[in-house]
Amino acid sequence: MTRLMRFVEPMIGIVVVVLLWGLVARVAANATLVPSPTVVWQAFVTMLDGDLPRDILASLAHLGVGYGLGVATGLALALAAGSSRWVEAVLDPLAEFLRPISPIAWIPIAILMFGVGRLVPIYLIFYASLFPIFVSTLDGIRHVDRNLVNAALSLGASRRTVLLHVIVPAVLPSIVAGARLSLGVAWMSLVAGEIVGGDSGIGWRILWYQEFFQMDRVMAAILIVGAMGLAADALLRLAQRALRRVNPSLASGA
Amino acid sequence: MNALVELRHLSKTYTSARTGDAVEALADIDFTVQRGEFLAIVGPSGCGKSTLLSLVAGFSTPTRGEALFEGARITGPGPERGVMFQDYALFPWRTVHGNVVFGPWSRGVAPTTRNERARELIAMVGLTGFEQRYPHELSGGMRQRCALARMLANDPVLWLMDEPLAAVDLQTRIILQDELLRLWGDERSATERPTVMFVTHGIDEAVLLADRVLVLGRRPGRIKAVVEVSLGRPRARLRTSPEVARLVEQLWTLIRDEAAQAIIEETQ
Amino acid sequence: MTIALAPPLPVRTRLVVPLVVIAATMVLWEIAVRATRTQGLVPLPSGIGASGLVLTTSGVIFEAMAGSLKRVAIGFAIGAAIGIPMGLAVGTLRPLERSLRPVLDSLRSIAPIAWIPMAILWLGVRGNAALFVVSYAATFPFIVSASQAVRMVDRRLVDAARALGASPWTVLRAVLMPSTLPMLFTGARIALAFAWGSIIAAELAIGIKIAGQGRNVAGIGQLMVETLYVKRDVDALVFYMLAIGVVSLAIDAGLRHLQRRLLPWDRR
Repeated sequence: MTRLMRFVEPMIGIVVVVLLWGLVARVAANATLVPSPTVVWQAFVTMLDGDLPRDILASLAHLGVGYGLGVATGLALALAAGSSRWVEAVLDPLAEFLRPISPIAWIPIAILMFGVGRLVPIYLIFYASLFPIFVSTLDGIRHVDRNLVNAALSLGASRRTVLLHVIVPAVLPSIVAGARLSLGVAWMSLVAGEIVGGDSGIGWRILWYQEFFQMDRVMAAILIVGAMGLAADALLRLAQRALRRVNPSLASGA
Repeated sequence: MNALVELRHLSKTYTSARTGDAVEALADIDFTVQRGEFLAIVGPSGCGKSTLLSLVAGFSTPTRGEALFEGARITGPGPERGVMFQDYALFPWRTVHGNVVFGPWSRGVAPTTRNERARELIAMVGLTGFEQRYPHELSGGMRQRCALARMLANDPVLWLMDEPLAAVDLQTRIILQDELLRLWGDERSATERPTVMFVTHGIDEAVLLADRVLVLGRRPGRIKAVVEVSLGRPRARLRTSPEVARLVEQLWTLIRDEAAQAIIEETQ
Repeated sequence: MTIALAPPLPVRTRLVVPLVVIAATMVLWEIAVRATRTQGLVPLPSGIGASGLVLTTSGVIFEAMAGSLKRVAIGFAIGAAIGIPMGLAVGTLRPLERSLRPVLDSLRSIAPIAWIPMAILWLGVRGNAALFVVSYAATFPFIVSASQAVRMVDRRLVDAARALGASPWTVLRAVLMPSTLPMLFTGARIALAFAWGSIIAAELAIGIKIAGQGRNVAGIGQLMVETLYVKRDVDALVFYMLAIGVVSLAIDAGLRHLQRRLLPWDRR
């Protein structure tokens, strides 16, 4: 009986919310102001046949390019800072200085530089995903357990062995944690960038539908944004769990 | 010359990461460690015991004076001076086997040879069956055994042990002490066994295990006394002998006041 | 990885190097822009400085910031008022958590700014749409941190209090509340950071919708859009960006200071 409950309980919340939503829609009796669940669902089905796949793909492309570049750059910079105290002395304060400036604040300049289009969200995502992974990786490098390095050295390991076989595995959990944080901010920046300065993707499409007052489609698109966000995080958590099964210490943190 | 390690006017000052002040950890240590002896190093908190070991291991260099190993100045870590750390410092991403085989592996020993050696050592410390476990799956006592096997894989001539039994409970500690003595060669002659420098807080442990006990005073660490432990070997049976109690009392009187002082000053 | 193996550079060097690099960069940047005659198209340090001077002395930027900050404050308060009780409820009652979790997770994944179109429709463009987005953004960090705070209360502290004779009311007031405060505070800092980011995004989005319609500038986001499309002042835009960063820092620093004053036992 409890096994059934475990499955049913999460459903209860969603069902209640959808029912309440339907009720509010009935009371408001204005399909533009408050589209009902059924109307939104129909809109979703229509969209599936229409622009939706293309929009989702566009957004994913923006995310992929921006996040990929951002993470790669952040990682490279962190490794550079980790290898040289001089590089660290320059990069660390720079990161601290730029970090408080929210990527959102870059949107106008990005529009000026690239014009309204796909480069705006891509640039935004790139910029946003750079910082969490840089900070996390550098922090991981700084906090490598000195004793592990010493142990390896006293066991006869060369400096190269220490680098590849002690420092890299020790830093990996921080890198994974940073990658996860980066994805979170990347996602926010994607939507903001597309809405304010993009010309494709699901964020941009939300405004498009709103221009034509197709609020049912707007609502459907909003929910899709949420679903995609959930999916992205779930994927990363799965990756983390897979990594942990390979080697428990490679992916610490929930 | 039977001297394995020579310390001449050894001094170490470092800058505290927290306050930025200069901390004089060790001052003017003159001492010789004989080949095949088991030397215990005791003293109140902050007397520089771990710093001394670190200098002999080659993890840091002296500010003044020198530390010699087999006549040559110590410039860095090396496989002939094996180290056991207070918190084991096992590689968490490697299995027991992976940890034990690390030394020979990084020195380029052939796979069959090194795997055989690892198997041998794992059996010697009693961890057979746990080769594929990771450190976080092991108990404190088992981790210590793994750390010991890892150190022994290089067959070092000098064992540097920094409070290796501090983190295990009393019952396990007694068992491990007996095992340690056995592995070291409690029942063999001085020429057939490695040299040990063993830092500990436990005076009873020092008396039980060692041939000589080096007593350091509080910061800056200087040699306060060197006490000979003239109990016979093998030692394991002598745990409760009155002679042991007398030596413990003698050593304790030497450091009691400074130890009490340390309790107050360590409050940060 | 040298920095893992070696001590950091002395503090003075660490302060000087970035200053030197920044100064050098700015000089080179200034020269490059002037040489290629791209002033007006590309921001340059002297231009940013000049714009900054004009904007601060005329008070334009302060007015806009005040508008944005006002809405951040209100949105933050709304987020706390909704988020904390909900979080506490979810953290305490496990069945509630299990049934609400999918809903909360789904709503949380919707980037707050995606709600702009609906918010505009429901609440109009004048300012409440932005407020809705900010409140939405601020709510979820509170829910998450409040529920975590409740779940992570150390049961032993509660037991210790009860063994000392405390009534349930005292336990709530003197143990549970102080225990949850640190995590709630951290959640508050995250909520504020989200709120600040969201207001800018919302104002930008709304600004784009009404650009050129000559309405009153309500916040810094709208000011930036106007500068972008109407005045096309590149230097001013960069100055706004820097100002936004400064405000972010100030807000977080302020909260962190408050956290340390109010919660001295919490080492975050």
